[in-house]
Amino acid sequence: MKRVVLVDDHDLFRAGVRSELGGAVEIVGEAGSVAEAVPLILRLDPDVVLLDVHLPDGGGQAVIAGVAPERPGVRFLALSVSDAAEDVIDVIRAGARGYVTKSISGAELVDAVRRTADGDAVFSPRLAGFVLDAFRSGTAPVDPELDVLTPREREVLQLIARGYRYKEIAARLHLSVKTVETHVSAVLRKLQLSNRAELTRWAAERRLI
Amino acid sequence: MTSSPYRLPLVLPRLTRVEDGRALGGVAAGIGKALAVDPTLVRLTFALLVLADGAGLAAYAGAWLALSPEDAPQTSRRRRIAGYALLALAGLLALRGLGLSDSLIWPLALGATAIVLIRSRRGGFVALGALVAIVAVIAFVDWNAGDAGIDTALESSAVAIALLLVLGPWAWRLALERDAERTARIRQQERADMAARVHDSILQTLALVQREAHDPRRVATLARRQERELRSWLYPAPGAAAEGGLAASIDAAAAEVEELHGVPVELVRTGDVPVDRHVEAIVLAAREAMANAARHSGAGEVSVYVDVAEDEIAVFVRDRGAGFDPDAVPADAHGIAESIRGRMARAGGTAELTTSPEGTEVELRLRRPS
Repeated sequence: MKRVVLVDDHDLFRAGVRSELGGAVEIVGEAGSVAEAVPLILRLDPDVVLLDVHLPDGGGQAVIAGVAPERPGVRFLALSVSDAAEDVIDVIRAGARGYVTKSISGAELVDAVRRTADGDAVFSPRLAGFVLDAFRSGTAPVDPELDVLTPREREVLQLIARGYRYKEIAARLHLSVKTVETHVSAVLRKLQLSNRAELTRWAAERRLI
Repeated sequence: MTSSPYRLPLVLPRLTRVEDGRALGGVAAGIGKALAVDPTLVRLTFALLVLADGAGLAAYAGAWLALSPEDAPQTSRRRRIAGYALLALAGLLALRGLGLSDSLIWPLALGATAIVLIRSRRGGFVALGALVAIVAVIAFVDWNAGDAGIDTALESSAVAIALLLVLGPWAWRLALERDAERTARIRQQERADMAARVHDSILQTLALVQREAHDPRRVATLARRQERELRSWLYPAPGAAAEGGLAASIDAAAAEVEELHGVPVELVRTGDVPVDRHVEAIVLAAREAMANAARHSGAGEVSVYVDVAEDEIAVFVRDRGAGFDPDAVPADAHGIAESIRGRMARAGGTAELTTSPEGTEVELRLRRPS
């Protein structure tokens, strides 16, 4: 069973997630702040950290920044009620493997945790929308490798935004599920490494606040 | 009388006129008592000051006017001001008596008056104070220029410097106060806006939730609507063309459908355009498709994706419901034929429908004029 640490400053929400994930994964620890979370994760070395984007003392990216250098094997899945694109993009750029909204169903969350643990990227429709927006043609790409989505990647993201699951996307595009996952992981990599103006602008604006 | 054990010993005693041991008005006796010196010494000082152009007389009269009798309420404000004026006059006379020339004393007196007036911080007085300050400087320069003649440049720059020194702090303080006032006003307004928002929406919704607690579906709808409203306020859509744009119209349509049919609409959109006749058609068609999905499919959620590309606007409305047989829909049913297909065709767009037991998707496309 996958070992999971839950980081969220709302006790009520943690209790809800705990009961929803129930027997499907093993919740080995919980934390409500960055200061609590970092030592806890370093000590427990879980497979997946379910990470709230908003934390009172620094936000999700601070947890990732504190853990990643020492425990590169720990994977993060961002979880938020926030609709602000820059918040979500920032956590992804810090190293989270995906983003889901808090309204996600229990079964879908279990599936998302498994996929995160396996190293896949988890894109909710909303995240797909943000990424399509951020990679929309406009500013000239500096590094075409990282700053532009391929037509196939765009197609996959659009289907995710339309509410399709990986399996449905695979069937529709006549691909294997593995190939769809590869495309999504490629998009995640671009998201994390690209210096596209829109992405850096979001990050910069956030840091100013 | 209550006495605090921490009272500082250096508190100045209250000066009063006293009845006990007075010779004339009780001024000297009062001062002597307050300073704990022999009243005779005080009287002697007054007497000596009379020799300085009669400063002692003015000082005594001023003190008599300014000081209140012992164990009596303070004398009137008018009387005290007259007293202070006399005391100031006494000071001037005493300085003259010491040998300071008129050319120094009068500008000095005028300058002091100006400062007192300006410190009052009342509009008229400040203006008067500024005027007096100018007169003081001019008087000083004129008086002291002597035979060398009046240097106008020197005079006007002296006036300017004096005005700056006197009025500068006052103007600075005024600006600071106005700034603080503005900030406070803005903050108050923000608070009021927030309170109004919380009251109009959140509190109302909470009240409704309590009343409808027996109906989970209704409660979920209420919560959902509130969430949507709060979100759009907290995180305005990036790049949205504000009110009247496609994004805002689709948001409103989705909210309406949610509320009407109690099925959540998961909306994702990229880009935005202003609404014209054609864009309005796609919004209305999308609304109809959402309503159909919410009403007939039996799905627990409707997914909507709006993509504004450079050459095309596309809207996808998808559900994971039971699907239906398009041929079995009665021909006179308005929904799909008229409200979706017909409307899109008239706007120069297309509508495609895919349905299977796994769900239904409506695909609306509209070319954008280049």
